[in-house]
Amino acid sequence: MSFMQPSPVKYACSCGILNPINKLFFCRHCPKLRCGFCVCHEIESHFCSNCLENIPSSEARHKKNCCANCFDCPCCQHTLSARATTVPVVRKADESKDGGESGSDAAPSPKPSAMPTTKKMYYLSCLSCRWTTRDVGIPDQGVATGTWPDNECLYQVRFNTLMEYYQSVVLQEKQEKQEFMRRKAPKQHKFPSLTDRTGLTVSLIRRQIGWNDKSIPKTKPINITPAEASAEVEPLSEDIFTQPINLRNVTTVAQRHSQPADQPTAVNNLYPQRRSLWIKRSLRCRHCEHNLIKPEYHPTSIKYRIQLFASYHVPEVVMVRCEQPLQPGQTNAIFLKFTNPTMYDMTISILDAPPADAQVNMDAFMQGCRIKEEAITSSPLLKATGVTLTRQNSTREVTREVRDLANATIVPLDNEFVLSQRDDSKEFDEDVQAPIEEPKFIVWRKGNKVLMRLQFTPAAELQTGDEVTLGFYMQYTYVNTVSNTPDKKEPTTHALYSRLFIQAGEIAQGTAN
Amino acid sequence: MPMENNIKILPKSVVCEESTLRGDITFSAGCVVHPSATIIADAGPIIIGENCIVEEYATIAHRLADGASWDASNILSIGSHNVFEVGCNVEASRIGDRNVFESKCFVGRGVTVSGGCVIGAGIQMRTVQVLPENTIVYGQQALQREAIEKQGSQTLQIDFLRKVLPNYHHLRKPNYDPKKARSVV
Amino acid sequence: MEIVDTYYSKDEYVETASGNKVSRQTVLCGSQNIVLNGKVIVQSGAIIRGDLANVRTGRYCVISKNSVIRPPYKQFSKGIAFFPMHIGDHVFIGEGAVVSAAIIGSFVYIGKNAIIGRRCTLKDCCVIEDGAVLPPETTVSSYMRYTAKGSIEGGQGNPYFVPAAMQDEMVNYTKSFYEHFLRTPAPAS
Repeated sequence: MSFMQPSPVKYACSCGILNPINKLFFCRHCPKLRCGFCVCHEIESHFCSNCLENIPSSEARHKKNCCANCFDCPCCQHTLSARATTVPVVRKADESKDGGESGSDAAPSPKPSAMPTTKKMYYLSCLSCRWTTRDVGIPDQGVATGTWPDNECLYQVRFNTLMEYYQSVVLQEKQEKQEFMRRKAPKQHKFPSLTDRTGLTVSLIRRQIGWNDKSIPKTKPINITPAEASAEVEPLSEDIFTQPINLRNVTTVAQRHSQPADQPTAVNNLYPQRRSLWIKRSLRCRHCEHNLIKPEYHPTSIKYRIQLFASYHVPEVVMVRCEQPLQPGQTNAIFLKFTNPTMYDMTISILDAPPADAQVNMDAFMQGCRIKEEAITSSPLLKATGVTLTRQNSTREVTREVRDLANATIVPLDNEFVLSQRDDSKEFDEDVQAPIEEPKFIVWRKGNKVLMRLQFTPAAELQTGDEVTLGFYMQYTYVNTVSNTPDKKEPTTHALYSRLFIQAGEIAQGTAN
Repeated sequence: MPMENNIKILPKSVVCEESTLRGDITFSAGCVVHPSATIIADAGPIIIGENCIVEEYATIAHRLADGASWDASNILSIGSHNVFEVGCNVEASRIGDRNVFESKCFVGRGVTVSGGCVIGAGIQMRTVQVLPENTIVYGQQALQREAIEKQGSQTLQIDFLRKVLPNYHHLRKPNYDPKKARSVV
Repeated sequence: MEIVDTYYSKDEYVETASGNKVSRQTVLCGSQNIVLNGKVIVQSGAIIRGDLANVRTGRYCVISKNSVIRPPYKQFSKGIAFFPMHIGDHVFIGEGAVVSAAIIGSFVYIGKNAIIGRRCTLKDCCVIEDGAVLPPETTVSSYMRYTAKGSIEGGQGNPYFVPAAMQDEMVNYTKSFYEHFLRTPAPAS
């Protein structure tokens, strides 16, 4: 249920997009929410989703990101599986089709001689549309995987020559650019070089030893014949108007697109395609270059090496129900369940406007984290040459304004409430609650969860069927456990805030009043 | 109108007690009917051919047309070696041999299924049509294609089920012996 | 949305010692071959065919109404054999689903009216959408989402198709489903 329908509670990410909490991540170093859109996706490993084999990236690039063993059915694009038939091997190496799955195009065979040894022959068959390799005439193979012939593209040779030509063009251009830069801006050396002191140059020494001159061979692009355009086209055959088409022999557009090399028009030219590989990716925050999630390398493992999900750090808000059917202009209350996922107690307050002092805290936080950055580039030599070890941010962080969709006014809470820490051992305790003074809006409290009641009023001008959206700022205390500073600091507490939007439902049919 | 059940089960058939059978139904030799299957003969008798498999939650129905009533000559004759998988709903007017109706498919009344067809899982066939031989209906858009290979036979599965099902289920006893049938009308 | 309490009447469901809640209106064939590992809910109308082969479920599974759990078979030259079926922990099987998979990993969500073909392999943390049809012998690897259209998409680390914290979400979902599936409180006499 929760996976098929979008969640009504959405958090505003730092880039302005609204996301439910299960799509958000929390960067601990710039304490902000990040979503899949404002992080860098990096490829971690390649694997085939069918045989679950891990393929190193160099081999993946060589094989054009295709699996060696798995094929896709050209008819319905599902996976093909190998089926075996037993065939009696005749002495003359003629084959006769035999076995339970008999083909209808069995060739007439001579009588098998006196050696009835059987051999297993394999063919590929699709289990969803029941297409087999025998339908297009591909001969059965003796081994289940690895020997299926590839469909050669007609233009493969031309593609290869074009690619080589352009690769050499690119190389030549790069060399010319390097020459140009070297001549224009020679490197300034701090210390006198060997040549300055002794007058010996590299080429002199090389000539003395007997080596030839050091010069990078300039690559010249290979000349290829450009493609010639011709206006001659084969004329349309006359019987295209008279011959009745058997639609079962014509391929669909999807089938043609899945086989882009030759795009067959007839069904008996379909050929099994190799299956593409999938990737595991790791996400990196663009601002501070730290990893947000990093999965395990192995394809079948579901663990993460680094997992900074938002649901581990930010309190989760779940909408339970509205108290009364929604009517425009009528005060209503909504029940919200807050969960504290951290190991520290959390104080939460609900506000209408962003808290003013939050910005100051943010800078202090960033300062604390930046000490780590300084340590890397502390070597003065590197600083002098202007080389930074941190990667250049190639993509700027784009902040956009959060679209304020709220069309209901809320009544902010008078005081804040405390969520106790997450304690898994309390799950098995009976809930014996000591009666404590609770603020009025808390309905019940259990462990690290609290159900509270928030009053709101949908705007008066809404019509029946309009979606009512509540927006508010939730301020929560976050204990920073990032401990990478040289001097051991105690974990500091910060007050962070997030902007939430809740879709409370639609305006019900109004009662006449 | 209420009609009494008239169920004839030939020897070597395995029909579980928990299946719902209503009307005049004849099971030929070698049929296997799993528990929670439903066979309804409203518009006329149903004769199920040899070695058919009807799995659980499958519904084979011979439904009344609007305004018609039970007619003893309106026989739905289902061929041999058919497989009705889990959750399928078949109301076709004629079914041939060696067909496979996969899970949760729906075949309406106007469809005539010939021989060797495979109706893929989840596919709904409602329009009046005649499926030619060896047609495979597959995919989400219910594309059709012609099978060049014959489908595998189910006899191995039927043998296994015939051995296993009696151990776990109550069965309806075979009550119709074709050799003795001449005396009974 | 929060799960609301669902109540069942006392005579409709049987509660075992290990916390399994099994409806009386299910068809459990060959119940001696069915192993429910604890805190499993089997709702009414479900069919589990333990007579064909062993069926083993993990903890906190939910088998919804009218679903069919059927061990897969494999055809050999000498006959067929039904293979035992293993379902992992924290698996949610939706209403009306027909499941013939050979292995279902843990933390899997199967939508309603899904058809899982025989001998499929569903690895941990995958999602099968409502109404999806899996052809036989497909493998859905971890963190992949099999759509109703028939395409597989996703991958670990891809936050768009399967939530990255799928394991925790399924644990919470199945646990809260179990906690909210309560017996109707007896009326005070």
